[in-house]
Amino acid sequence: MTVLLDVQDLTVQFALPRQGLFGPRPVLEAVRQVSFTLEQGRALGIVGESGSGKTTAAMATIRLVEAASGKVIFQGEDLLQLDAEAMRQRRRDVQLIFQDPYSSLNPRARVADIVREPMDLMEIGTPEERRARVTELFRLVGLRPDQLSLFPHQFSGGQRQRISIARALTTNPKLLVCDEPVSALDVAIQAQILNLLARLKTELGLSYLFISHDLGVVRHVCDDVAVMYLGKIVEMAPREALFDAPQHPYTQALLSAAPSLARRKSRGYVRPVKISGDPPSPINPPKGCAFAERCPKAQEVCRRVQPVLEPRGPTQVACHFPG
Amino acid sequence: MSALLEIQNLRVTFNTRHGPVTALDSVSLQVNAGETLGVVGESGCGKSITALSVMGLIPSPPGRIAGGAIRLAGEDLTRVSEARMRALRGAEMAMIFQEPMTSLNPVFTVGDQIAEAIMLHQKVGHAQAFRDAVALLDRVGIPSPERRARDYPHQLSGGMRQRVMIAMAVSCRPKVLIADEPTTALDVTVQAQIFDLLNEIQRDFGAAIILITHDMGAISEMADRVAVMYAGRVIEQASADDVLDHPQHPYTRGLISCIPALGKGDTELREIPGVVPPLHMLGAGCAFAERCAHRFDRCDTEKPSLVDHGHHPAACHAVEEGRI
Repeated sequence: MTVLLDVQDLTVQFALPRQGLFGPRPVLEAVRQVSFTLEQGRALGIVGESGSGKTTAAMATIRLVEAASGKVIFQGEDLLQLDAEAMRQRRRDVQLIFQDPYSSLNPRARVADIVREPMDLMEIGTPEERRARVTELFRLVGLRPDQLSLFPHQFSGGQRQRISIARALTTNPKLLVCDEPVSALDVAIQAQILNLLARLKTELGLSYLFISHDLGVVRHVCDDVAVMYLGKIVEMAPREALFDAPQHPYTQALLSAAPSLARRKSRGYVRPVKISGDPPSPINPPKGCAFAERCPKAQEVCRRVQPVLEPRGPTQVACHFPG
Repeated sequence: MSALLEIQNLRVTFNTRHGPVTALDSVSLQVNAGETLGVVGESGCGKSITALSVMGLIPSPPGRIAGGAIRLAGEDLTRVSEARMRALRGAEMAMIFQEPMTSLNPVFTVGDQIAEAIMLHQKVGHAQAFRDAVALLDRVGIPSPERRARDYPHQLSGGMRQRVMIAMAVSCRPKVLIADEPTTALDVTVQAQIFDLLNEIQRDFGAAIILITHDMGAISEMADRVAVMYAGRVIEQASADDVLDHPQHPYTRGLISCIPALGKGDTELREIPGVVPPLHMLGAGCAFAERCAHRFDRCDTEKPSLVDHGHHPAACHAVEEGRI
């Protein structure tokens, strides 16, 4: 297996408004020393709740948000070191699907033009070739070529997400960043899009960086999963290991919080792991483990010493008391 | 025994630019005290309209209750005066909405807002109502409730705002609590907390809960009985165990098998093709026929009615004729 993407110690900071007229500008560290690798043809899921930094980490990886430090080695080249023009050329290989298919398509453009636009910008092929490619992509994502001249509002949410996927595929990318691609869709439609993404991954050998808060969705699409909490990866493992033997108490809590058909009111289920409260503020992160305040296993050492990611079987976990 | 809340053949129409459409078509539901009824379906299937009809909150015009009855402890809510409705709303039945931020008033403290709801229905002064509000905030699990009661909604997290909404909704111990997608805007760990809280409150107060959701997982954890809705009709209704273990209608089967389960990966999800048809395009036949794998000629000409075909009530010709 060849490594497509190797992210090392990625850190993203945002400066907050000055406190008072001459006061200091506090810095919020949204992503803190995140490292992961993604192999060709595989999908890495990044899970976490809102504010965990999962979207910011992915956006910094493809330089839609500037990183403060770290390395993003994509096909042997550090993306963070590229100048603007070199990065623009690299964008052929790295494309993106957004969460909301209603706001991510230009309402005044015909969908054929929307899907063709990346090829126009990158100057790929002749006008005829571009047109043919658009038709081919439309078929590939399950739309009909006679719908090419319609406008986005004439499509349902699921169809719009298919259009977004077609647009992302025009430049033959190697890496597709999917930012909550099915969260805005109805459950019945989610299945259509998830099956499409799974098929495209096999047929085109695509790699996904797949951001989601829904563990069921991630389990369906991803080969490996990273769990983020307050800007850090707290557990990373192959899919089976993560779901069958979660090591971090936060991962265990996420799994027991996700609604499941296996837990039935009539059978009097009791949630195995309960956690209370909300995540702490990223402006003043706790000195020790960020999860300690909500953790059922927390000891004195957890509030003092920040745990680091350490291997434990097939899993990497950042916890003083894993398992 | 008659049910606490009983909806019978409810029909709600809306005037739209496509002409009058039927948003709810002969919907019948019952909930007993201390029981949770889950109402499930995709967006646009009539779940929220059903809830708003019970609360007397259908915008009229364009909406109109065109037929049927909604009986709360025997009293038909479709026939009572607006003044009577106002007295019932909040006291006898209350609703929790999807987005707690837009349902709370941003310029009053949450303690004052809960106190206002209490003073509307009980003869108590502000000081007593505020003390009750603090006790309620404590009951719904908000830490340091005396201090939090003096906070404005924007100072609270999403999960805490939804707890405030629940505190307000249960402030007068309503008999019926309607929760319309109460956790859609929340993170999954917070969603679990809210579900556990609703179950506790039901045990304490014995309220009947109507939980509106699109998530079969939530139904499994929360509901005693389930009604599945599609295009303004109830297409299947039974106990949660019957619906989840022996779904009859092809739509219900689809809804259950299209969820990416935590328990398995990699297998292809069964999808329901197509989308819910717009209400003004409904024909003479079954509204689900377009998307159904078991469709036959009868489905295009005749609307199936909700009848027990052996296991439990389902509105499907294919089930009736034993084709599935």
